[in-house]
Amino acid sequence: MTTQISHNLLGAIGGVPRPETDVVVDARDVNKFFGRLHVLKDVCLQVKRQETVVIIGPSGSGKTTFIRCVNHLEKIQSGRIFVNGHLIGYREARGGAKLVEDRERNIARQRQEIGMVFQRFNLFPHMTALDNIIEAPVHVRGMSHDEAVVMGRALLDRVGLAAKEGVYPTQLSGGQQQRIAIARALAMKPALMLFDEPTSALDPEMIGEVLEVMKELAHEGMTMIVVSHEMGFAREVANRVVMMDEGMVIEEGTPDQIFGAPTQDRTKAFLSKIL
Amino acid sequence: MIASFSGSSRARRALLVGLLLIVAVSAVGCSGSYKLRPNYFWDSLLKPSPAIINGLWLTIVISIVAQVIGVVLGVFAAIGKMAKYGPFRWAANIYIWIFRGTPLLVQLAFFFYGFQSAGIVKWPGLVVGPIDILPEILAGIVILGVNEGAYMAEIVRAGIISVDPGQTEAAKSLGMTYGQTMRRIVLPQAARVIIPPLGNEFNNMLKTTSLLSILSIFELYNTFSNLSGSTYASFEFLGACAIWYLMLTTVWSFFQGWIERRLAKGTQQSSGGNSGPRSPGFAQRLMALRAPIEQ
Repeated sequence: MTTQISHNLLGAIGGVPRPETDVVVDARDVNKFFGRLHVLKDVCLQVKRQETVVIIGPSGSGKTTFIRCVNHLEKIQSGRIFVNGHLIGYREARGGAKLVEDRERNIARQRQEIGMVFQRFNLFPHMTALDNIIEAPVHVRGMSHDEAVVMGRALLDRVGLAAKEGVYPTQLSGGQQQRIAIARALAMKPALMLFDEPTSALDPEMIGEVLEVMKELAHEGMTMIVVSHEMGFAREVANRVVMMDEGMVIEEGTPDQIFGAPTQDRTKAFLSKIL
Repeated sequence: MIASFSGSSRARRALLVGLLLIVAVSAVGCSGSYKLRPNYFWDSLLKPSPAIINGLWLTIVISIVAQVIGVVLGVFAAIGKMAKYGPFRWAANIYIWIFRGTPLLVQLAFFFYGFQSAGIVKWPGLVVGPIDILPEILAGIVILGVNEGAYMAEIVRAGIISVDPGQTEAAKSLGMTYGQTMRRIVLPQAARVIIPPLGNEFNNMLKTTSLLSILSIFELYNTFSNLSGSTYASFEFLGACAIWYLMLTTVWSFFQGWIERRLAKGTQQSSGGNSGPRSPGFAQRLMALRAPIEQ
């Protein structure tokens, strides 16, 4: 099966969404606990506009938890995460000494600017491919239905699934579902895209088509954080690779640095196992 | 195929029960002191008087409206029960506790006669277009509905829990609020789990309306009870009354079977591969639901 991933993916949503700040994601000393388990330990990470950062690391290292904190699907216990210059999920009380969880409505508004793609796609099974894509633009952004349909069709076309607009997710392959999930997230014109192991639940022959879409997005200048085990993708597409282990960022650098000359033993050990 | 077979066997069962009743009617006719008047029995089934028709409609309409109220309250109570905010949870739990923990008959009497005599609430009548709703009917519908809501709450909650948490996360990550997530994403999918037990609840509701006789509402049972009281033909009239209920629930169970078969069809279709776009029916929209991960 050949997959037509079109160039100019972001053309479907009117060009590259402009983040408001040069540093799109700024995570400072983020700590998170699951009960007594300390899963994120003083994690710091900056992602600049149009940068693609790939986070790698063994399972249980906190990669997924970290990007889920970036759109506040997970709470944090200390630290700050700014996206587009806005503190995510919390407001500061007592002169910044204390974090208080923000109101649900404000969190929802912040999430509109952050697209997320999940390992298990999480398409809405009671909606067609097209309805999945236009759901949030219409009901969250308040876009007119007609306008959303035009955009939704353009997106479907660019991810190579124009023929599937009336099809339900259960009738699509994993790769097709994930491409639609990417289109769904893009339809909100997010300033930032988060990918949580987007190819881990796919059959091997479908990984390529999804990576192709992500590659295209990165080339067009979308700001992205990708948690992935796809080292080939990281090497080829990432501007920066971040190695996490046991809840800490232990090393970061260009793909050449990380894959060519890792400085940390744990990075070397991890890479030798996976490559 | 199996479903349609069980449907027809249900019809046969209904027929059998009807025949048995008729045999019983004739048997009693032969026995000593009770002077059987079979015409009362047959006429109220085959040539129902306006009073019986009226009672029948009242039973149907009250059941439907009360069930709708019950579903709506059930959704709110289920959401309340799962709320993060304590007072919502407590309110929902207290509501469910009270209305499931006391007899409906007592609730009807207490909230109508009790409240009225204490002067707390005098139930008003209601005029909806051409229909004049009597105070006791309004009270009956509301109390039945509120009672039903307490039972629906658990059913709705089970439905909500059955929806993959990934769905909520996806909705949230698109910027949906809690309310939007519930309305647009979670509840439509929960419907698959909610609908079969909802059908059973409605079957119960049809029969439970007979309790409204204590509010002097002339629904089906009270109408027949009244007829039997004024003629002393209890056997004939109450037997006919039972058969009317049996017909109602039988018709409903056919309808319910039809709905459930359509829902089942929707889930079977999902195994088909990449068929082209198809026009989705109600069941397809509601039911094209399986864990998206399985391919």
